[in-house]
Amino acid sequence: MTAPVPSAASVPLAARARDILASEWTKLRSVRSTYWTLLVAVATPVAISALVAVALAHAPGKSTPVDPLLPGLISQEYGVLAVGVLGVLAFSTEYGTGLIRVTFAAVPHRRAVLAGKAAVIGALTLAAGEVVAFASFALVQAVLSGKHLGVSLSRPGVPGAVLADGLLLFVVATMGVGLGAIVRHTAGGIAALVGLIFLPAILGVLPAPWGNRIARFTLLDAARQVTALHPATNLFAPALSLLVLLAWPALTLLAAALLITRRDT
Amino acid sequence: MIEVDHLVKRFGAVTAVDGLSFTVRPGHVTGFLGPNGAGKTTTMRVILGLDAPTSGHARVNHQSYTELIRPLHQVGALLDATALHPGRTAQTHLASIAQSNGIKQSRVTEMLRLTGLESVANRRLKGFSLGMKQRLGIAVALLGDPPVLMFDEPVNGLDTEGIAWIRQFLRALAADGRTVLVSSHLMSEMAQTADRLIIIGRGRLIADTTTAQLIESSTRKDVLVRSPQAAELADLIKDRGATVTPQDGGALAVTGLDAPAIGDLAAEHGISLHALIPRSASLEQAYLDLTEEAADFRAAS
Repeated sequence: MTAPVPSAASVPLAARARDILASEWTKLRSVRSTYWTLLVAVATPVAISALVAVALAHAPGKSTPVDPLLPGLISQEYGVLAVGVLGVLAFSTEYGTGLIRVTFAAVPHRRAVLAGKAAVIGALTLAAGEVVAFASFALVQAVLSGKHLGVSLSRPGVPGAVLADGLLLFVVATMGVGLGAIVRHTAGGIAALVGLIFLPAILGVLPAPWGNRIARFTLLDAARQVTALHPATNLFAPALSLLVLLAWPALTLLAAALLITRRDT
Repeated sequence: MIEVDHLVKRFGAVTAVDGLSFTVRPGHVTGFLGPNGAGKTTTMRVILGLDAPTSGHARVNHQSYTELIRPLHQVGALLDATALHPGRTAQTHLASIAQSNGIKQSRVTEMLRLTGLESVANRRLKGFSLGMKQRLGIAVALLGDPPVLMFDEPVNGLDTEGIAWIRQFLRALAADGRTVLVSSHLMSEMAQTADRLIIIGRGRLIADTTTAQLIESSTRKDVLVRSPQAAELADLIKDRGATVTPQDGGALAVTGLDAPAIGDLAAEHGISLHALIPRSASLEQAYLDLTEEAADFRAAS
């Protein structure tokens, strides 16, 4: 206990950031739910894109070419809930068990904890998302090329679209982290996540012009627009849609950052 | 050193801590006593920066907790031993907390050994007994080798062996020159562990004293005397400078003169005694007397 107590000046910011990332990474890899949710988030989309590709390739009398990237993209949406749950759990289990008090007593700078959890889960789900995107692309094109419907990765716009496809899991997972910190309950956090992703999408069926006006701001439509080889004309341009897509987790995390320091634990 | 200064904490209409001030100094085990709901846990949460005070402040080593960088090197705390993820192992639980403060794995291993959890380090926490979880919580508190330690009801739910272990442990930490604050709602427990006592009720300070002083000042010591010539005896006792308080049924409570002296005095004057009973109240009774008001409040609310 006679060891010198480290002061703010003696611990560089980078070291403190590294500490928090290491701590959150240990937490993430030491619970089973991480492995289960990731397995579902990766396996389901890959399996579904293969199925969709087979169905498309065998569709009779199909003359109009569909967007060859669509099957891979849509399948990614089936991994959304799994990674969203992974994100919500990061905070909700700590609040549920009371562990959050241990965490905040160890790191009183709560926004650093929020950033740490978002970064670790974001990195993991980004990697998983890209794996899914490229695996789905390879599978789908392998099936479609037999019918001369596929595209090659060397075609302009395709690599970018596939890369962007991999963003969806990252976007939803980090949004889940923010919602977990805001709602502080697992069930409530998941409900909020489902509501934010799917409710606006339902509003998209409203009569013109309201349906379109709302649709361009919804998470799933923005994601489809970003990754479409032939962007829809009634939505924002892909670049703007990318901003819309990233704004969802950004605004959620911002709200979490504002609330997390104001509330007692 | 822990300083609490005019601390007020309200939750809506409920005032949990009401203008509380005290200082906890190094080198002693300080007991933090009060009935359930007195505000002990809330005070500890404010000290740890978990709850924001409504007014007043709490400081650790002259700093506000929320300003501390890598605080586990300065303050170790065990608030709730069951606050853990049941799917993690003792090792990963400790490691994740250690890493957040730049504490090495070797220290994690050392703490597991110190708390006797080495053999179960890789078992999932859902299988841990409350006693094992308490030990794990103490391991967390000691990770950063901090000069200040706080434990909230650490003996709750422990068996006799576990209680003895913690008691000896707390004493050793204080003997090491650390500041040790331990909360409890049981006077009997604190009397055997703490040198100093901070007693609160309804969020207010009732007593800030040493255990020895509390025993000295609030332990009632008197002699109950019954005699057919009570009035005569009372005058004789008063002449010796002692105090006589009449009791129910014509008995006398005498303070300032012990039983043998009263017996001798009675024999000298040919007064017969029917009863001569030295009485003393326990420390537990003294504590109950002190916190009576707070207990009334609790029953009413």
